[in-house]
Amino acid sequence: MTATPSNQPARHQRRTPPAARGETATWLTGGALVACVVLIVAIVALIVYHGGKTFWPRPVESVTLNSGETFLGVPLNSEPSEATGGLRTRYRVGNRDLGQESFEWVDRTDISESAPAAGAWYVEREDWGIFLGYPEAILLYPEQASDAQPPQALAEGHEAVREAFDRLHARAVQRRNEIRYLNDVEAPGLQHRLNEIEWARRKVEHDRESERAGTGLSVTLWLALMLVGAGGVWWSLRLSARARRTSRADPLRKIRQLASIATLALSFGLVLGAALEHPWAGTRLSESQVQSRLNTLEARTDRIQEELRDTLDRLRTLRQDDARVRIVIRDPRTDRIAPESRSERDTPLRLSQVIRVVPGTDLSFGDKVGVYLSRWGEFLSEEPRADGAEGGVFPIIVGTVILTLLLNICVVPLGVIAALYLREYARQGTFTSIIRIAINNLAGVPSIVYGMFGLGFFCYFLGGFIDEGPSAPLPRGSWWVGVGVTLTLVVLGAGATMLSTHPPGLPPSKRERLAKSASWLLWTGAVVGAGWMVFTSPYFSGFFGHKLPESSTMGGRGILWAALTLALLTLPVVIVATEEAIAAVPNSMREGSLACGASKWQTIRRIVLPSSLPGVMTGAILAMARGAGEVAPLMLVGAVNFAPALPVSGEFPFLHGDRTFMHLGFHIYSLGFQSPDSEAAKPLVWTTTLLLILIVLILNLVAVFIRTKLRGQMSAASI
Amino acid sequence: MIDPKPSKSVGIIRAIQQGESVPTTYHREVGEEAIGDRSVVEIDRFDLWYSAAQALHGVSMRIPRGHVTSLIGPSGCGKSTLLRSVNRMNDLVDGVRIGGEIRLGGESIYAPDVDVIDLRKRLGMVFQKPNPFPMSIFENVVYPLRIDGENRKPVLRDACERALRSSAIWDEVKDRLGESALSLSGGQQQRLCIARAIVADPEVLLLDEPCSALDPIATLRIEELIHEISDRYTVLIVTHNMQQAARVSQFTAFMYLGRLVEYGPTESVFQNPKLEETEQYVTGRFG
Repeated sequence: MTATPSNQPARHQRRTPPAARGETATWLTGGALVACVVLIVAIVALIVYHGGKTFWPRPVESVTLNSGETFLGVPLNSEPSEATGGLRTRYRVGNRDLGQESFEWVDRTDISESAPAAGAWYVEREDWGIFLGYPEAILLYPEQASDAQPPQALAEGHEAVREAFDRLHARAVQRRNEIRYLNDVEAPGLQHRLNEIEWARRKVEHDRESERAGTGLSVTLWLALMLVGAGGVWWSLRLSARARRTSRADPLRKIRQLASIATLALSFGLVLGAALEHPWAGTRLSESQVQSRLNTLEARTDRIQEELRDTLDRLRTLRQDDARVRIVIRDPRTDRIAPESRSERDTPLRLSQVIRVVPGTDLSFGDKVGVYLSRWGEFLSEEPRADGAEGGVFPIIVGTVILTLLLNICVVPLGVIAALYLREYARQGTFTSIIRIAINNLAGVPSIVYGMFGLGFFCYFLGGFIDEGPSAPLPRGSWWVGVGVTLTLVVLGAGATMLSTHPPGLPPSKRERLAKSASWLLWTGAVVGAGWMVFTSPYFSGFFGHKLPESSTMGGRGILWAALTLALLTLPVVIVATEEAIAAVPNSMREGSLACGASKWQTIRRIVLPSSLPGVMTGAILAMARGAGEVAPLMLVGAVNFAPALPVSGEFPFLHGDRTFMHLGFHIYSLGFQSPDSEAAKPLVWTTTLLLILIVLILNLVAVFIRTKLRGQMSAASI
Repeated sequence: MIDPKPSKSVGIIRAIQQGESVPTTYHREVGEEAIGDRSVVEIDRFDLWYSAAQALHGVSMRIPRGHVTSLIGPSGCGKSTLLRSVNRMNDLVDGVRIGGEIRLGGESIYAPDVDVIDLRKRLGMVFQKPNPFPMSIFENVVYPLRIDGENRKPVLRDACERALRSSAIWDEVKDRLGESALSLSGGQQQRLCIARAIVADPEVLLLDEPCSALDPIATLRIEELIHEISDRYTVLIVTHNMQQAARVSQFTAFMYLGRLVEYGPTESVFQNPKLEETEQYVTGRFG
């Protein structure tokens, strides 16, 4: 039988459908990427544009309304007016202390004339924002305020004032800085030292009542006990050395090791008891000792009070001098002058209150660039004024950078060590998987939750403990029983651990498995017990208890607690990044090192850790970016609107973990939403945002640079 | 092809495949009287299980001092496992159990009081894939000394040069000791690993298919190297390559499915094997 073609199954015609070629997919994926890039570029461009233009000087216009009123203003933007259907323009008019809003919408139809205001000044002042007006005179007031003679004019008329201003203003700025230094740094410093002495005095008074402050009579007994303790340590070391020399198979080895640990625990308990109880030393401070201490403090108080008086005198003289030179600037609308303060409306502005003067018109491009740069310089190097709406952000930058660095110092070692255990030591099983999932999930917990935890745990619990000791100490007897139980648990735990180690090559016996579970339980109990004993100790009453209740030291919000809270928040990021880097180290490296006779720790230290350093850096970068940008938890644990002092200083201990700090992210929030003149602060919000992004960028670039260098060292030219 | 020999030995392979225990065929030259106290590693009825699967079945052999002994056999026959049991690298694998004994210089290495780290310091090992550490050539070579706490520069430099000369790579790298070891070629990397394995004067050098990832020229160099160092070190080498075993080793052990089948001087194992299966394997007709 011959097969006809029609009998054969129809040959499958292969073809590629258009969808298989994936043209649509190219467009789809590419389009999605473009959308993302456009969004990111747009937000960055918006921030750069708005943040960058804030400090650019703009011309001042003199506007005459149909009603005949004339005012000075800086036109900002225009939009259709709902009332008239025409356009309306927003002017920045300043002069808030004269009782007007610093921004004003004006309908175009109401304006009869507007022209560049030749001769007008745009004045930046210490308080109340900007002032727009025409300069009239610089006055020198008589030395005695009571004198009836009128002030003498140093310069009069627009041209003369302009010429005299530069010369006089430099001196006024110098005076202002001097006053500020005396007032903000020197006087508070002296006051602070007085407070410290007062606290020290209170401590002496407290010690006078206490029974245990004096040195005991039996120093010899004390020394003897210390000797016994040292002997115990020595004996324990000897026992452990003998145990090491004993053959592993010998049961005596384990007994000796256990005896060594027990001896160590016993001598530790003995020395602790002696140090805390010193039961034979019950003497009070003698009255003459108390008196001599009080006298020393008294003398120091007198000396410092003298200094403080001098400082205040100097301050008063300087202020009197400063108050003599004043400048008259007149607002054309109200025909009033720029006042010294809102309550003294007829006293002209002190010259030193003027930060900077920008002529309203006739600025060349070079002048404008000069003003722009000088404003940026002020922004970066000065402290904020007027609730942050004016002045600079220097302390805020310092606070942010220090917080970020502190955060990294806390989180990187902790995260790396945790990741090392999880990857290198822990047996990979269900339990490690659960821990890994839990860590990953921790990264998704809302940051405000961390903030509340930080406030409750770090600030109140831990800080409170450091300040005034345990809130509910145990009675002494029970506490010593607890210490005894804890030490017993340590010894038992060590014994169980020894029983649970088994020779390799054999599966663990039932007894060994039991001992392993028991050792876990016992060690956990020992750790819990140790923690409990620390936090219920009747012997510890805090390091800063004598400052309470006026001022808490660690028991409040501060940069250290904020850094620890953020460290907790970013810990998952570091652990995950490090773990991935460790997992990426090829096993052949570990085997090679172990085959060379390296121990596990040497292998980790010399091979695994160096190879995974770039990954650790990646974790640190991510943590840094997150830490610098986080706001919500910081509001709870330490960021404030205005911190009186930087967290770093030249005084011991140089980094003050207990101080509150300012943070750029929080500053943006408070500028935008809590500022009394939020409209005026708006441009600064943009600029601060720009700055925050720049700082995060710089920190990241530095870290990326270090990482690239490390990578270069790891894998030279080619593989 | 008609087999002149009786087909008794084919029965041994079948017996092994069916899981029966069969005695190893030893040549006279590897017997106790012949080697005597010249054996450095003694493997005594050694069993090994990976969890439930038994990988080695009662392997017993004496490895003579100052010679190259090669382990041959088809994939999965337990050569590498046996090699890695000698320096206890198998401890790293979860669920490994052992039976029997391995003695190094007369002392059991699986006794409970043996420090694994000290044991590994007495043995050098080179792996299938070159595994230089991501550090300089110099640091790679002196790594075993560094971990022993040796930090004196002159000592390290001397040891480094000696090891690199022994592994025949000194002339190629002497001007670039500070460069990363990863910049070397594969063959150079493997010779570097040999230098690292011998820098601390091990009692036995364990080579786990050291040429399988290399090209023929690099292989030749390594073989020459093994030949050169064989008068100073005892070498145990695992190889897939019959010619290599024939070229470099004085003794050969043929393994199959976790059993040691035949063990004897290389010459007689290759040219005059006692078992027909050995002959079939070494001539490439089986395996």
